[in-house]
Amino acid sequence: MSAKRRMQLFGALVAACVAAGVVAVVVAAGGVGTTASTAARDVLIAARDDDAPRLVFRNLDRAKPQSFGQIAVAGLSPDATRTLVQLKCERVYFDAGSGICLARGTAFASGYRARIFGADFKLRGQVDVEGVPSRARISPDGTLGSVTLFVSGHSYADVGGFSTTTTLIDVSRGKKIAQLEDFTTTRAGRKVTSPDVNYWGVTFARERDRFYATLTTGGRFYLVEGSVSGRTMKTIHPNVECPSLSPDQTRIAYKKRVGPGGNRWRLHVLNLATMRETALAETRSVDDQVEWLDDDHVLYGFNESVWTVPAGGSGRPQRYAAQADSPTVVRW
Amino acid sequence: MYQVSDASSLLRARRRLLGRDTSGPQVSRTVVLLGLTSLFTDIAAEMVVTVLPLYLVYVGQFSPVAFGFVDGIQRGAAALVGLASGFIGDRSKRHKEVAAVGYGLSAFVKLGLATASTALSAISALVLLDRIGKGIRTAPRDAMISICTPKEDLGAAFGVHRALDTIGAMLGPLFAFAILAIAANAFTTVFVVAFCIALIGFGILVLLVPQPAPENEAEVEGKVVECEREPVRERVSLREAVLVIGTPRFRALLIAAGALALATASDAFIFLVLQDKLDLSLGLFPLLFVGMTCVYMLLAVPVGRIADRIGRGRVLLCGYALLLCVYGTLLAPLDGTLLVALALALMGAFYAATDGVLAAFASGIVPEAVRGSGLALINTATGVMKLLSSIAFGAIWTLTSTDTAILVFGAALLVAMGLAAWSFLRTREDEVHVG
Repeated sequence: MSAKRRMQLFGALVAACVAAGVVAVVVAAGGVGTTASTAARDVLIAARDDDAPRLVFRNLDRAKPQSFGQIAVAGLSPDATRTLVQLKCERVYFDAGSGICLARGTAFASGYRARIFGADFKLRGQVDVEGVPSRARISPDGTLGSVTLFVSGHSYADVGGFSTTTTLIDVSRGKKIAQLEDFTTTRAGRKVTSPDVNYWGVTFARERDRFYATLTTGGRFYLVEGSVSGRTMKTIHPNVECPSLSPDQTRIAYKKRVGPGGNRWRLHVLNLATMRETALAETRSVDDQVEWLDDDHVLYGFNESVWTVPAGGSGRPQRYAAQADSPTVVRW
Repeated sequence: MYQVSDASSLLRARRRLLGRDTSGPQVSRTVVLLGLTSLFTDIAAEMVVTVLPLYLVYVGQFSPVAFGFVDGIQRGAAALVGLASGFIGDRSKRHKEVAAVGYGLSAFVKLGLATASTALSAISALVLLDRIGKGIRTAPRDAMISICTPKEDLGAAFGVHRALDTIGAMLGPLFAFAILAIAANAFTTVFVVAFCIALIGFGILVLLVPQPAPENEAEVEGKVVECEREPVRERVSLREAVLVIGTPRFRALLIAAGALALATASDAFIFLVLQDKLDLSLGLFPLLFVGMTCVYMLLAVPVGRIADRIGRGRVLLCGYALLLCVYGTLLAPLDGTLLVALALALMGAFYAATDGVLAAFASGIVPEAVRGSGLALINTATGVMKLLSSIAFGAIWTLTSTDTAILVFGAALLVAMGLAAWSFLRTREDEVHVG
């Protein structure tokens, strides 16, 4: 091949690559504008006035990239119609009139924002956080919020090791309260001091101030019970990740590591009175902080759908809502 | 009548004369093109590296425990592949084709990421392929740079290549964040654009870089392809490669480079120490990287030239002396901003004085016939030592404190520098000194 021919070929290659890259970005950017009507703002307020329970979740319809990740509101039945709200999030939670939405901020680098909104979906405050959104929760009285984000490069171990930060938020003032990393944790009566601790997946008790979360240190995972005002936590059970307290406050649904080397998760329910574990009928490895549909069923995201399974270990998993994740059950 | 039988050699001689008087050594077109190949490939690679952790954690189901283990195995595999590719390049005398396989594989991986499912197994397989691609291309590419450069200009040539390479590494995260800013969570778009950019890099290598062979010393568009090649003996066998590489000088460099790498705390750790001491926001991490890289990029060429003049071994040791200063700064009770600025400047200078200079140093020692194998051996040895150093630093930090870890590494670095200085001195008689 002559030098001239090579140059021509190279020119053609560059032109094709530039064109393909520009087209890809332009197509993706088409998804920026959100399209939901402002009337949708009233959907939760109307439900509150009617005392009707609702499911709030992320709408994940890949056929419509414009609305992918938009918050949707629907009735509590698998085929209820969805109303899209003009709010895009990576993770959403709503309770007692307050919602929290983890969305990408406008800042450069790894900036995300925990946006706090009311039943009218109007922004009430926001807190800057760093990392990749993982979990979000609001306390049953609507005063406390918690978000967990993955922070890459935070680990001292090696590149490729990841760690999390969990932030407690004062919802009414829209301010950070503390990072769980700053609390004092005890395990079997002794203070945990190793630098490799990570916390994630907070769930709040109905009784104010008390919460549960995951602690990992030295390759082991624990359920911790904590006090926000006392800034303390203590481990109460091993091998619990992403706890979620049942509405009747007696049980915790969670992910338990099973299989060789703990390479998969199995959803379990822990009875807090007896500390008895019950494996749920879902056998796929689910990575989510589950949500209680009622005292007998849990909801969770798997492969871009919301699924449900009985909380007593019987039955079998069923698809509850397709093209959806981050479910949160709203009662008034 | 005086006849010039070979126009290219005359041009080359004239350019070198001019170059000496004015702007120092000229690096050949091949080196610049290889640098551009690396620039584009690195933009693509860093785009993926920037978003992949986000992607894995966000979309994939990811367990941090398993990741570290898999990560180690993959790095080991890539290092072994690198040894093989260095030798194959030498044996077939087709460094360019071997390097092209590596660059092509890495470009293909970006396309794979754009189209593959979000299953962790698929992504791990692609990341492994990417690492193998990097393992394959490094040694033959460095061998090409060294073969296309007169021995006395090796430092400058590697400096130019590393500076271009570094520009790519800085642009990559910018591109990735720009795309994510335009379209939130458009990970697939990031991968598609990364593939397009990687393809341009691959195209530069395949279509524009001349194969380093005597018959290529033709004029290409009025410019001389300054890629000389000494007559090389028959194909080398594996045994010969091992024998030639096993000369005392090379062994001394291999051991010195390995020992120095073992005493080098990775920049990730140094940033973490800075963060630990100053309570920096995690959002500043990318900025620390950019600051250090800027210094590296600006100094790579001048330091490479200095190494050509005063000796590569000396500059290499000076570089590690700078690293010692970094350790010292981290222990010193300095004010926040000053500490960060000083540490970043010293780190950048350290990289400029060690990364390309080591490749130039090794190229000056290893005979051309086994250049690829020799460079690959050095890469693998330093790579393995860096991995061990990370494990050691993490362990010391966990068991004691950051200050202890730095002190231990400082002491180890002093020992390694002593060992290196002794072995360089012992074997210095044929070191190239110019000027």
